[in-house]
Amino acid sequence: MTSYRYEEEDEQETEDGAHTMVRPYTITRGRTAPERDDFSLITVLTTAEQAVDEHGVPLRVGRLQPEHRMILDRCRRPAAVAEVAAGLDLPVSVTKILLADLVAQDLLLARAPLTVARASGGADMGLLAAVRDGLRRL
Amino acid sequence: MTTSPTAPSAVKILIAGGFGVGKTTLVGAVSEVAPLRTEEYLTQASVGVDSLTGVGRKNTTTVALDFGRITVSPELVVYLFGTPGQERFWFMWNDLVNGALGGVVIADTRRLETSFASIDFFESRDIPFVVAINCFHGHNTRTTEEIRAALDLDPHVPLLVGDVRERTFGRDVLLALVDHLMSLPAAVG
Repeated sequence: MTSYRYEEEDEQETEDGAHTMVRPYTITRGRTAPERDDFSLITVLTTAEQAVDEHGVPLRVGRLQPEHRMILDRCRRPAAVAEVAAGLDLPVSVTKILLADLVAQDLLLARAPLTVARASGGADMGLLAAVRDGLRRL
Repeated sequence: MTTSPTAPSAVKILIAGGFGVGKTTLVGAVSEVAPLRTEEYLTQASVGVDSLTGVGRKNTTTVALDFGRITVSPELVVYLFGTPGQERFWFMWNDLVNGALGGVVIADTRRLETSFASIDFFESRDIPFVVAINCFHGHNTRTTEEIRAALDLDPHVPLLVGDVRERTFGRDVLLALVDHLMSLPAAVG
């Protein structure tokens, strides 16, 4: 993205992001926050098996935008929020809004990251052992 | 949150260090995919006020980070996030650091000072970390004792010396971090 008119407009328009060629939240129809804020960069998303009628036609095809459909395609194999954002070439915050739309419609399943809170006694030893075994195979 | 029974769980490790020190190189050396890049907006209110290259827009600052992944088992994926080169940005980015298993600070002996901020950051957040000294050109004129002293490193923090372009070194650095995590005394209560 370029800010080619930055110099001349700098003084007049400082509050509304008028220099962005494509406003970042156009895709989200102006929404700047997701319906839910519990997505992290590594929340793992998987496309849900869609319910179909007796003719095999998906029952629920809401008003999905192209980006929504791209997400559903991408997440047939589980992918983290950061991966989805990278694939769509959209900022993480914009991607999260789209993901929340799909989770709300049960079209997408989300899995929160494992908690590694040290206050409760450090990372789980079983988890660390699994990571270590995996790294040794590199 | 609805949980998918078939999706793997994820953990993340942060790869930090000064600009150009080899963060993305290390990620790429061990990742099963070529490093991916994603961006996030940070509001200017949460970022420093002096002008920087790349801070062209006024309300939002775009910060990019590169990341990779290692599938350690069908149930578990490790994501490696290279932090943005300027720590002032990721200080404000809670999502990036929250829940991190631990960190790697990459340092270059010719300019160790560029890694001070990363070390301070992990120490202040109580995020365990290891230090990887990147010898780009295969030579290192300083002893590890000198480096430890220069970085004011706690004796228990592992320090490794090698070439971050090499997969085996990247693997050893990550293994040192995991061993370090396993050696930490669990908090009482």
